[in-house]
Amino acid sequence: MLELKNLDSGYDFLQVLWDVSFIVEEGEFIALIGPNGAGKSTTLRTIAGLIKPKGGDILFKGESIIDKPPHIISRMGISYVSEALNLFTDMSVQENLLLGAYAVKEKETQLKTLEYIFELFPRLEERKDQLAGTMSGGERKMLAIARGMMSTPTLMLVDEPSLGLQPNLTYDVFAALLKLVKQGVTILLVEQNVNATLDITDRAYILEQGKIAMNGPSHEMKANEHVRNAYLGI
Amino acid sequence: MTTESSAAPITTVNFLTRIKDNLPVVVVSFFSIVLFILVGFKGGAPQLLNVLVTGGMWALLATGLALVFGVMNIPHFAHGESFMVGAYVAYFVFNPLNKIFLSTGSKFLIYSGPILAIIAAGLAGCVLGIIIEKIIFAPLRHRTKEGWVMNAFLLTVGLSFILVNGTTLTLGPNFRGIPRYYDVKSLEILGAYIAVDRIVATSIALVTIGLLWFFLRQTKTGRAIRAVSQDETGAQLVGINLDFIQTLTFSLATGTAAISGASLLFMFQAYPTVGLTPLYFAWYVVMLVGLGNIAGAIVGGFIVALLQSATQLFIGLSWQSVVPTAIMILVLILAPSGIFGSEVKGVQEQ
Repeated sequence: MLELKNLDSGYDFLQVLWDVSFIVEEGEFIALIGPNGAGKSTTLRTIAGLIKPKGGDILFKGESIIDKPPHIISRMGISYVSEALNLFTDMSVQENLLLGAYAVKEKETQLKTLEYIFELFPRLEERKDQLAGTMSGGERKMLAIARGMMSTPTLMLVDEPSLGLQPNLTYDVFAALLKLVKQGVTILLVEQNVNATLDITDRAYILEQGKIAMNGPSHEMKANEHVRNAYLGI
Repeated sequence: MTTESSAAPITTVNFLTRIKDNLPVVVVSFFSIVLFILVGFKGGAPQLLNVLVTGGMWALLATGLALVFGVMNIPHFAHGESFMVGAYVAYFVFNPLNKIFLSTGSKFLIYSGPILAIIAAGLAGCVLGIIIEKIIFAPLRHRTKEGWVMNAFLLTVGLSFILVNGTTLTLGPNFRGIPRYYDVKSLEILGAYIAVDRIVATSIALVTIGLLWFFLRQTKTGRAIRAVSQDETGAQLVGINLDFIQTLTFSLATGTAAISGASLLFMFQAYPTVGLTPLYFAWYVVMLVGLGNIAGAIVGGFIVALLQSATQLFIGLSWQSVVPTAIMILVLILAPSGIFGSEVKGVQEQ
């Protein structure tokens, strides 16, 4: 479904990603793991079209998307939940969600997704008239994920959903992601919480210093000596 | 799923703390009401209507400035020229149209003449806005966002020069005005006679502001405009076409400024630098209420008009620009982000 081919990317004169290639198949739950500064977020931002790659290619459903602006990529079915969340803080929760469905033309689909999301995150329904900027960190994170779901994406790129969350909320967020995968959404998850991430994902790519260092099924990665030493602290 | 622990308490703010939190707004509202009563007492209905006419115009112009700044981060110093273009278009559309309509003798046509001229000016403004955005701002935006606010500011100043001097070159420095749009007897309101033109201009300003407000609040595209002003990246990620929204915003701002120039042609004759005073006052308004704050710009328009009127009545006509300016300086010292203290995204970001 998504294929990165020898991708080079970065900011201005600073190259962050070097020859990164990987494949995400339809329906998979993939983890992208690595230390700070390895280029995980840069990878997601490049896929979402926020950064123009310096070389290589990104194929989504067989079509190259490197020359497409972010809004087109979003409309093609890739939803990026950024680390910064990028919520519309002066708007209500409901307005944020409706904007998430900006590119969805059918009003019925919009309302149906909204209903589903309120079922998944009852907290958001309770607060639908509250301004996004006045919500707590956990609620904002949920809102960002929910907004990302409103466009009924086929691929979601989720960047550090557990960052700054207390453990039980992290669990909630992961549970929500697992539910999404069960619904048939493909997810590429970037996470610092390696232990939990390897428990729930199908496969994992390890990104180190802008290069893919290794990859494999998540349970195998968890048993891998390098991963255990570097990321699990065992 | 349960997220009890993350619940931010829903605060029930009592009246006093609410006043304390919004002190500048409360103080300004209080003084505005007092001023309004004083002006009404001394000047009567005509003076109050005057506040509405000029207030409506400042509000309309300031809304455009606030939109352009909020959505595109452009400190727009060629906004007065949109006003000027509106005045010229209305002049050149209204006169021939009126002649034709007068010869037909149909009352309906004669009455609709000014409205048609104002609509034409608005449309011309929208088109001009699209052209300016596509030729000047879009290419710069695509090339680099570095130093954007300063670059955009300089561009608008240059644009203002070009439009003013281009107009002087092609149309000459002459004043082109009309004595009145509606050649009918003044209406008597509360014992005072008020020209129909003023009532029409006020109505047009209020209706335009109302429509703009509705558009921004209730429509999908309006919501997208607000989304871009709050978080550009977020807007792109949900599938909003930035280029489209930015061109649309600039076009709307230029169009509404042209409408105010057109509907006030009977007060401000069309000449190349007619936009200067409206530009300054629109900037007073947005600085007073906080850059990029649209709701504030509407209220602020009327506050500044009220200040002008009060100064005129109680201190003297020649002071009517001094007092608002002095107050603006005070506001900048005491509440640098404006009395409605809105945070503007881009300025710090870029």
